[in-house]
Amino acid sequence: MITQGSSQTGTALLYVPGNSFIHRMNPLTKLVGLLWLAATTFMLPPGGMAVIFAATFLFGVLAGAGKAFIKRLILTLGPFAIFLFVIHGVLIERHDTIQHEWISFSPEGAQYMLKILVRVAALLAASMLFVTTTHPANLLKALDSHGVPPGIAYLIASPLLLLEPFSARARAIRDAQQARGLDLTGSWKARVKAFPALLIPLVTLALSDLDHRATVLDGRAFRARPFRVVLDAPVDRPYECWLRRALLIALPLQIGVLLWL
Amino acid sequence: MALIDIDNLVFGYGKATPVLDGVNLSIAHGERIAILGGNGSGKTTLAQWIAGSLPRPGMTARSGTLHAEGKPWSDWDALKRAETIQFVGQIPSQQISGFAFTVYDEIVFGPGNLGLEEAEIRKRANWALDTCNLRHLVERDPFTLSGGEQQRLSIAAALVMQPKALVLDEPTGNFDPESRDKLLNQINQLPEDLTVILCDMALKPALAIARRFVLLDEGRIVADSDAQAILAHPRTLEIFGAPAVTEAALAIRAAGRWPESKPLPFTYGQAETLFKEVSHAHG
Amino acid sequence: MLTVDKVAFHYTAATPVLREVSFAAEGGEILALVGRNGAGKSTLLRLLNGLRKPTQGSVVIAGKNTQDTPPHIISHSIGTVFQTPEQQIFNATVRGEVAFGPNNLPLTPQQREERVVRALARTRLTDFAGKHPLDLDQAQRRFVALASVLASQPPALLLDEPQRGLDQRGKKLLEEIIREEQAAGRCIIIVCHDMEFVARLASRIIALSDGRLSADMAPVDFFSDAPAMAAASVEPPDTLRLSAALGLPASLTPSSFADHWLARHN
Repeated sequence: MITQGSSQTGTALLYVPGNSFIHRMNPLTKLVGLLWLAATTFMLPPGGMAVIFAATFLFGVLAGAGKAFIKRLILTLGPFAIFLFVIHGVLIERHDTIQHEWISFSPEGAQYMLKILVRVAALLAASMLFVTTTHPANLLKALDSHGVPPGIAYLIASPLLLLEPFSARARAIRDAQQARGLDLTGSWKARVKAFPALLIPLVTLALSDLDHRATVLDGRAFRARPFRVVLDAPVDRPYECWLRRALLIALPLQIGVLLWL
Repeated sequence: MALIDIDNLVFGYGKATPVLDGVNLSIAHGERIAILGGNGSGKTTLAQWIAGSLPRPGMTARSGTLHAEGKPWSDWDALKRAETIQFVGQIPSQQISGFAFTVYDEIVFGPGNLGLEEAEIRKRANWALDTCNLRHLVERDPFTLSGGEQQRLSIAAALVMQPKALVLDEPTGNFDPESRDKLLNQINQLPEDLTVILCDMALKPALAIARRFVLLDEGRIVADSDAQAILAHPRTLEIFGAPAVTEAALAIRAAGRWPESKPLPFTYGQAETLFKEVSHAHG
Repeated sequence: MLTVDKVAFHYTAATPVLREVSFAAEGGEILALVGRNGAGKSTLLRLLNGLRKPTQGSVVIAGKNTQDTPPHIISHSIGTVFQTPEQQIFNATVRGEVAFGPNNLPLTPQQREERVVRALARTRLTDFAGKHPLDLDQAQRRFVALASVLASQPPALLLDEPQRGLDQRGKKLLEEIIREEQAAGRCIIIVCHDMEFVARLASRIIALSDGRLSADMAPVDFFSDAPAMAAASVEPPDTLRLSAALGLPASLTPSSFADHWLARHN
């Protein structure tokens, strides 16, 4: 049998294959690290946030994901920066607003905008570092082998996995309805009218899938025992374990400091 | 003790007419049995009862019982059920757990749930991969496979549990003849002691795999016999259509030129011999 | 009626799906499109109903070039019955589902009603008209999809493995409907793996192999051409092999075989 033009793993994923130091870290360590970084950005002055951003970006480049980083950062931060500039730099009247010809500008607003932008950039870069160096399969196995209830691990894994078949099915439904005369090229009114014809089969089939999948999981003894044996779980080194503990202790303390001081 | 013992089972959804209407069937360990039936005959429902996925919570049989190794499925736990019987349904993409990013992980998912030793899981997985010819696909995402590959994967994921019985619901419905024959060959090479229960509405796969044939018609078993008897059963022709060679012989018999004493051919091989004999008799 | 002219299709240039495919079909013809899984049949099907546009060459249906006509307009000229009715069913009743096609056409309410009633009757669904389509069995759902195309009365029909999942009764009914459509002058294209079914119905066989048109022949010729059949992973109908083994004229179906045999032995 010939495989029909199907794609390999990962079209819907941001993961960039590699074997860098960051790639080899246990996904749980990276996950905890990401949470800690996120909390930390809220405590730091813009300068500190910029350092975090630069560091994570550098790590991203070292991990071989530089291209993906730049693309995603430009795509996300570009429009966001323009939006922030217009709101805080131009539209909101401040005491220091300078009116020049038809344009008004506030240095304080611009500074505020820069602060938000750097924070978002740091958060985004940290998240990018996590998703580009962690294959969801490894995250799933790490969660699974650390005794995270299989149900929760399943909730994390299945949306990522099912994205691809779900969109393939959405395309098939659109094809089927167009081939029987559904107009998807017309006015917005016509398109709104067409919506149920696209949505109802998608929902019906998703429900039918859920039903079957429940039977399949049952048949494969999912949750029949209180534990599962996970093969090829990511390595967990002792220092990573300590690092995670330290970060997990630091995290609530930092949030506490932020809230009460 | 029989693997499956069904005694006068009557079952229907809601208040509708029963789908299974007094089914009596006993399946021994190691049997190769085909449950044949047309559209709406109830064969998928029967297969789901056999595999223990019916009745669902809140459903009951209107009368009768099904015992698996001596007890109703509800008296066994999920572990025992998974190790006794595995069911592979009709739509390949719906047989995938949604818990694995690769074919290999999909296969080891079930044994992991059984809590087996790692070495044992790997041994079983290797065997299942080879049996279902999936070796070259281990790294692939299960959801990007073709329908036929997904079908083989779901059979492998069932086999790796090393059940006593495998229930297959129309396993070759999606296949071209070449891929169909390959899969049927693979099924025929499965261990002797594995019970195979095949539900189908095509005769060809059933004739290739089974030694016992059960004909289900409107929720009742109307025949339970070997291949010759099932092919000669009048309902078989009505439900499945006769094989083309049988239909040809029947047309010649209708013209009064096929001796009543001559058996009808069902396969091409039989047809060539029998037609030569009959032609010869007519000079 | 339908012209496919030097059509090539690919998603990415490195992996062509179809190359240099040309054929034409007229009303009253039944074309069987055969070939192994992955040979490009499903892609050709989507080119014929305008869901995909050829990378090169052209597909023209009833005077409309698919390149510059949206699929919903092409659907008035060629109706498609897909393999998975669940991917299109969205009405709460069988009647509503069948009325979907005619509702998109410039017809009077009375004409629409007539067409729906007739399509339901032809597919033996009249008694189920008020039911939810998904409450019907698999075979009946397929007939719902067929009825919804019949009710639109397009001049050409495209059927994707229509016999699959049908028992003998269903196949007989399907065959009867296809013959009626043929008699009404429609052009019918069937994508099909079941060669007994093809042998009984087709007036022509179009075979695809590795994205190329590997045969465009009359069924009798195709089923006597071993290399052509091998290229498309096709088995000849048993009666054809049998007629050859017995030295009878080539017989595609049991009834033609019986006729030939009886003529010889009378």
